[in-house]
Amino acid sequence: MKDKKLTSPMDRRDFLNKCGTLLVAGVGLATGGVLATKAKGKESDTFWQIDPYACTQCGRCETECVLPVSAVKCFHANRVCGYCDLCGGYYRPSVKDLNTAAENQLCPTGAITREFVEEPYFEYTIDENLCTGCGKCVKGCTSFGNGSLFLQIQQDLCQNCNECKISRVCPSNAIKRVSYEEAYQLKDHA
Amino acid sequence: MCEARFPKPDFTSGYQYPDIEHGVPLEWLWNVVDIVLLIALMGVVVWAAYKRRSRSVILGVSVVSVAYFGFFRSGCVCSVGSIQNVVLALTDSSYHLPWYVLCLFIIPILAAVLFGRVFCAGVCPLGALQELVNVKNFRLTRAVSAALSVIPWVYLAFAILYAATRSQFLICRFDPFVGIFRLGGDLGMIVFGVSLLLLSVFVGRPFCQFLCPYGALLSVFSSFSWKKLSITSKTCINCALCIKSCPVDAIHSPQTSKTKESRSAGVKRVILFAVLLPVFTLCGALLVGGQSDALSSAHKSVYLYHLIQEQQANPEMEMPLEVETFHALGGDIEALQAEVTEVQHQYAIYAYLAGALIGFVIGLKLLRLSVKRSRKTYEIDTARCTMCGRCFSYCPQNTVKKDEKAL
Repeated sequence: MKDKKLTSPMDRRDFLNKCGTLLVAGVGLATGGVLATKAKGKESDTFWQIDPYACTQCGRCETECVLPVSAVKCFHANRVCGYCDLCGGYYRPSVKDLNTAAENQLCPTGAITREFVEEPYFEYTIDENLCTGCGKCVKGCTSFGNGSLFLQIQQDLCQNCNECKISRVCPSNAIKRVSYEEAYQLKDHA
Repeated sequence: MCEARFPKPDFTSGYQYPDIEHGVPLEWLWNVVDIVLLIALMGVVVWAAYKRRSRSVILGVSVVSVAYFGFFRSGCVCSVGSIQNVVLALTDSSYHLPWYVLCLFIIPILAAVLFGRVFCAGVCPLGALQELVNVKNFRLTRAVSAALSVIPWVYLAFAILYAATRSQFLICRFDPFVGIFRLGGDLGMIVFGVSLLLLSVFVGRPFCQFLCPYGALLSVFSSFSWKKLSITSKTCINCALCIKSCPVDAIHSPQTSKTKESRSAGVKRVILFAVLLPVFTLCGALLVGGQSDALSSAHKSVYLYHLIQEQQANPEMEMPLEVETFHALGGDIEALQAEVTEVQHQYAIYAYLAGALIGFVIGLKLLRLSVKRSRKTYEIDTARCTMCGRCFSYCPQNTVKKDEKAL
C-alpha cells in the first residue's frame, strides 16, 4: 500500500486541481468562443440617442443625466424653423412686448439668442455651453411652432454609460442605443 | 410632431442656412488603449506577484488604474458591468456585443485561469481605490465572512435576471465608485460610494469581498488556477505573521484535526451535503421563482402597467408623468398588456434560474465548509486572494538575504 503511494506521479489534491484547471480553462475558452461569434467590431459600438419625434419634453433629461450639467442639449433645425418674430420657443407664453428683455425669455439660462435677418425673419441660435437640456423651449416650439427645436444627446459630452440613466426614467422610451452612423437623429432633413 | 405651422421663409437678402457641426462621439481609439493597458497592467501584476514579489509595484499599478480607468475614463464600461452586456448578447439576438466589452469580460477570466485574480489586484479601478485607502484591517470572524460571501452570488443572480429580461443594468445602477470617479452623481450614489470608501479604510476591500459579482465569478476560475501564488518562495516556518496582514481573509492557517474524527464520519457528512445540494438548488428556485411577478415590476413596461391600473382603481390620485405620457401618446393598453404578459413569462423562467443559482451556491459553500483538510503550512486560498501582496513583506523568510543564510 505504502509503496503504491510513493510511485504515484502526483498526489490526489494535485491531480484534482489539474483536472479543475483543465475544466475551468475549457469553460473560459468555450465562453469566449461563443461570445466571439456574438461580438462585432467597431460597427457594434452603440451610442445613446433621443428620438426627437418620440420625446415629450418631460424635463427629466435635465435632472437625470449622470453629468453635473446634462449631456442632453437643445438642437435647432434651421431648415424647419419658420424664423418667426413671435417664437414659441423664445418668448414666454404671456409675453406682452416682443423685446428681448430677460423677463420675456423662456430659456432659464438665456441660451437662445436671436438675430434679425430681414423683415420679418429672425434667426435663432442655441449656445450649447449655456443649455441645460430642460426642454422648455422645445415644448414651446413643438406646441406653437414648427418643432424645429428638439432635444438631442451631445455625443462629445455623453459619457456613453453602459446603461443611460435618463433612458431608465424616460416616460416615452425615446432614448435608445443606436449605431455610430445613426448617433445623431436630427430634424434638418425637411 | 413636426408640424409646418409656419411656411418656410422666402429670404430675399440671400440669407444662407448656417452649417452646424455636432461633436462626434468619443474616439473609439480609446477602447483600444483600454484593452492594451488592461493586458499590460495585468502582466505587470503577474510579474510583481510571482517574480518580483513586491507590493509596491502592485500599488503603482493601482494608482495608474485609478487615474486612468477611474478618473480619466470615468469607470464605464468596466469588466464588472460587462457581465450584463454578455448576458444581453446571449439572450437577445438583436444586441451585438462590442468587441472591447467582450475583451473586458473574457481577458480577466482567462488571466484568472492562469494566475489567479490578477485583475482584482490593482487593475480593476474599484478594487484599486479600496486598496489605496485601506490602512487597517478589522477582521470579521470566519462565520460572518463566509455568510457574507454569498451576497455577491445573490447580486450576480439578480443582475443576470434583470439584464436577461432587459429590465435594467443593476450593477451599473449600484456601482459604488462611479460617482467618485466622475466627481458627481445623485445623492444616493455619492453617499453609498463615500460610506463604502470610509468602510474600506478599516475593512479590507468591502466591495470586492461582499458585493462584487465579477469577483465571485473570477473566484471560481482562480480557485483552480494553473499557477498558485505562495506566501514565500522558501519554506514556511509557521510563524503566523502573514495571516494578520491579509485584508481579505485569504490565508488558511495550518490545521491538524484536534478531535479525531473517523474517516467514515467525514465521508458521511460530505455525502449528506452533496445530497442536500440539489435540495438547496430546488428551494432557491422555488423561493425566487415564486416571486417572479413581484420582481417583474422592475421592468419599465410592467411598472407602467401597474401605475395605470393603480390610477384606474383610484381616479382622484394625481396622474403620474409616465401614465400621462402614455395617454398623451395614444398608448394602446392592450398592446401594453400583451407586452407585460410576455415580460412576466420571461421573468418566470429567469427567476427560477436565478433562484437555482443562489441555492446551488449556498449548498456548494456548505459542502466546501464541511470538508476538513489538513494543512501543514500557511496557504493562500486562491479563490479569495486578490493579490495585494501584503503578506510578502510580513513573511520573515522572504526578508532573509542570501548571505545571512550562509552565516
